Amino acid sequence: MATETDAVDGRTESANTVSRFDRWLDEETSPRRALAVYAVLGVFMLFLLLPVVYMVLATFTNRSFLYSSALIPSLSDLTLANYVNVLSTGAFQRYFVNSTIIASATTVLTLTVGTLAGYSLSRFEYPGRDSLLLAFLGTQMLPYVLILIPFFLLMFTLGLINSHLGIIIAHSVIATPLAIWLLKGYFDDIPESLDEAAKMDGCSQLDILVRVVLPLSLPGLAVAGFYTFTISWNDFLLVSVLSQTGATRTLPFGLQLFQSQNQVAWHLVLTAATITMIPVIVLFAAVQQWVVKGLASGGMKGA
Amino acid sequence: MATNTSQSRTARYGEEFKSFLSETWLGYALILPAVILLAAIIFYPTLRGVQMAFLEVSLLQPGQEELVGLENFAEMVNDAVFRTALWQTVLLTALAVSIQYLLGMALALVLKEKLPGMRIFRSLSMVSWVLPIIVMVILFRFMVQNGFGPANIVLDALGLETTYWFGDPEMAFPLIVLMHVWRNVPFYAIALMAAMNSIPETQYEAARLDGAGALQRFRHVTLPQISYVSMIMIVLHVIFTFNNFEIVYLSTGGGPLGNTEVLATYVYKTAFETYALGYAASMGVVMLVLMLVFTTVYVKLEDMD
Repeated sequence: MATETDAVDGRTESANTVSRFDRWLDEETSPRRALAVYAVLGVFMLFLLLPVVYMVLATFTNRSFLYSSALIPSLSDLTLANYVNVLSTGAFQRYFVNSTIIASATTVLTLTVGTLAGYSLSRFEYPGRDSLLLAFLGTQMLPYVLILIPFFLLMFTLGLINSHLGIIIAHSVIATPLAIWLLKGYFDDIPESLDEAAKMDGCSQLDILVRVVLPLSLPGLAVAGFYTFTISWNDFLLVSVLSQTGATRTLPFGLQLFQSQNQVAWHLVLTAATITMIPVIVLFAAVQQWVVKGLASGGMKGA
Repeated sequence: MATNTSQSRTARYGEEFKSFLSETWLGYALILPAVILLAAIIFYPTLRGVQMAFLEVSLLQPGQEELVGLENFAEMVNDAVFRTALWQTVLLTALAVSIQYLLGMALALVLKEKLPGMRIFRSLSMVSWVLPIIVMVILFRFMVQNGFGPANIVLDALGLETTYWFGDPEMAFPLIVLMHVWRNVPFYAIALMAAMNSIPETQYEAARLDGAGALQRFRHVTLPQISYVSMIMIVLHVIFTFNNFEIVYLSTGGGPLGNTEVLATYVYKTAFETYALGYAASMGVVMLVLMLVFTTVYVKLEDMD
């Protein structure tokens, strides 16, 4: 009885989908046009995704398949050995822990500093406000390689070479202007009448930030947090300058563990690369709806 | 009575002045952490970098500085590697950004169609933009390995030449362009799509009534209304491509035969491999000035439209 109902439900549902699809086509596009759109989309997806998908597939195959001239693995080629091998490498584990610590701390620091600054720019009037905003945005134009030289000397003087703190500060600074810009955009969208109402109830400015503005800006915090985490997680240049030893290196260096001057263990390098990209992909999946929307509104308006 | 009123008025003004002051101070206080961080870690090193451009400093003895005036800049004129790197940076930026824009526009036009599954495609298309540059570089290097790289396996099956393409003096540069394109097309697509979606449908209806064909509607309705987002995307990516260090450094290191050397990698090598900090800084200043000029001119031109 139950199964029968389920089947009926399933059928109506699929019929619904079909009729909805028909209506879509009628309203907006002809079937020929839809076909053309899917075809173009297919080409783009092949171009953008096939390399990544193939890489992930390759990490589940054995060495002899990878180094052969075959494109499609057979079932007997499949193995988890690469993952076992990479994940049991001590240095790789350390890099993973370093990356997690540094990217998380960077995110917390950047969101804190960015929230305060974004709130200040969004809700307060004072001399120099617009020039500050412009100066923050202007930092995006600076060539890192120019900053890098005095920056390295500065960090050396401060004793922040080979320390987590040095990298966390450096990453936060890189991410902060973008975070401020994004958060200011989200704060601007919250009507000031809500602030006024809270003020009537006796809230101070900081109460308003914590109790009114922040709860309404969670998507903004998620997007800014994602950008910051990704900037830190993906960075190679700053870590390469600030880390002279393995103790503070991060995952982008984990890939080098499996290659030497003239030999690359491709099965392990690709596996390390896949493990490195998984966290940012998962994070992106979690916030993608807001990122896509944010590009449309929060990130793009202003100026 | 009268004094009472004036007193209360003074008191009220005083209160307002106090609250104005406290608001202003709170505003400054909230932004202070960001200002301190950026001043110490970005503005100070930038100014110091600009100053260094006029000095002779070695990374080995950073304490010993010698003022050399414009000597570093004069050195660039006779530096063949610098001239090549400058030209290749400009070429790379121009090629990458124009291809990105065209492909991004094409992808935006299909992604904005209201068809089933589009939301998934929008997110899926962003994957190449999210992953770390080092992962992208490893992926591309793997694909063009001679003998077992999938791209070469396909080329071989088609009876075409195979080699490790990053090591090929002619093909290495196009591959760098390809990586820039592959990485950033989705970002253009999503931004342009969002801009297109915000155009009211009535404008297209009006254009249709005026007898405008699809191409004319695109030219006269769509293009003008996405010009602001287009400007932002182009300026952002010109800056990003021009300054990018990791993509070239991690894939070819500037080779083979210096055919993919760009300013960012040359500056890095000059500073951290040959230790000539002053000369490196002066080239960094040239990069900065070029970007400033580009951004100013582009934004002005856009404003005039």
